[in-house]
Amino acid sequence: MRRALLAITGLAASTTALVVFKGSPGATQVAQNLPSAQPVNPTPQDVDPSADPPVEPVAGAPTPSVAPGTPSSPKPSKITARPAGTRTTTKAPSAPRTTTKAPQPTNRRVTGPGVDNEYGYVQVQIVVSGNRIVDAVALSLPSGGESDIHSDDVSGRYDGTGGEVVQKQSANVNTVSGATETSNSYKQSLRGAIEQAF
Amino acid sequence: MPAAMTRRGLCRVEQIMGTAITLDLADDLPAATLNELADEVFAWMREVDARFSTYRPDSEVCRFDRGEVLLSEASAELRFVLEACADLWGDTDGFFDAYATGRLDPSGFVKGWAAQVASDRLLAAGAANHCVNAGGDVRVRGLAPSGAPWRIGIRHPWDAMATCLVLTGTDLAVATSGVYERGRHVLDPRRGAPASGLRSVTVVGTDLGVADAYATAALAMGVAGLGWLDRLDGHGHAVVTDDGRQYHSADVPAGRLAPPASPLVD
Repeated sequence: MRRALLAITGLAASTTALVVFKGSPGATQVAQNLPSAQPVNPTPQDVDPSADPPVEPVAGAPTPSVAPGTPSSPKPSKITARPAGTRTTTKAPSAPRTTTKAPQPTNRRVTGPGVDNEYGYVQVQIVVSGNRIVDAVALSLPSGGESDIHSDDVSGRYDGTGGEVVQKQSANVNTVSGATETSNSYKQSLRGAIEQAF
Repeated sequence: MPAAMTRRGLCRVEQIMGTAITLDLADDLPAATLNELADEVFAWMREVDARFSTYRPDSEVCRFDRGEVLLSEASAELRFVLEACADLWGDTDGFFDAYATGRLDPSGFVKGWAAQVASDRLLAAGAANHCVNAGGDVRVRGLAPSGAPWRIGIRHPWDAMATCLVLTGTDLAVATSGVYERGRHVLDPRRGAPASGLRSVTVVGTDLGVADAYATAALAMGVAGLGWLDRLDGHGHAVVTDDGRQYHSADVPAGRLAPPASPLVD
């Protein structure tokens, strides 16, 4: 009997937690239903309506979050032993993903050399995950004049593809096009030698 | 075993114009013919360097700049280059300026043009499959030694050992101008100040001299150059901005080889 009661409390707790997670963006109806469901003793009659609300308001909202919400209700009997929180975090759509993904890649931040020009100081930092660049941040950009136009403004009226963070392509190539340093002949020669070797 | 190591054609690198010139001939021609063709290409590049180098006080460009050579006395090559630079100055709203540094320096056109002429001559001589790379300005024709179209990587602006885009083609002129090697050496001729906003500009066309000049001009324009490139007829482009974003025209013959291993974390 006690177990059953615990199970029911657990279920109620988990569903309310679910509703709090889900309902917060849009539905006011959920917020109204919740306080009434919580303080009342968790009797079997109470559980059913509290299990329903997450479906009701979500179904009213056009969000696709109904699908992840509903399958959680048939299963809760298993959860009872565990803290209900873990279950809901794995089910919630956005928040738990970041928590599970965050530790996975080891990001390195690489700061480029600062370059002075008459209009200011330019310095860019990139974030590298493995051998891919996942973000690039301008730590410093000169302000004033045309440099105020940022690339975001350009992409709005741009026919081409782009705006994505520049990435590395490890590809078989016959040759490489790039700006070259005319003064450093040693490096050029070495690069030429490498090109010749492959 | 030696049979497996050999490939048809010839590849040769020489240090001219203060940079490495790589010639890759992929035609299955007799070795003597290939060597002769390569000799002619490198002789031409040295001739251009002697005539157009701004580092040699005795070059025709420097003598012309000092007024020691009149336009009427100038070589056909110099007159052609001066005319081309004047046209390009108009085409680029003044952003390609052979006089941007205060003295005549047509290097932004000459390197690409020289490689283009070398490629044209190779084609005329029967070597239809080749790649000429003059310090990062690339002209390819036909097929690579592998028998597939040439694959041209565009150097990653933050990693000299990586490429950020791969172009494939059988008739392409690819010129890249960037600030990652020599710093902000490209001047905005209107302000007389170093250009900023774009880190690397690649222009793809069929004439390497023009592509080279356009890439330099767009770099000088800064972020506004992106819109200018977008409206440019007959040329594709790929641009990396100072804040690490990559843009390229929809028609650029790009083979984006390796899709990202996993979707980006938003």
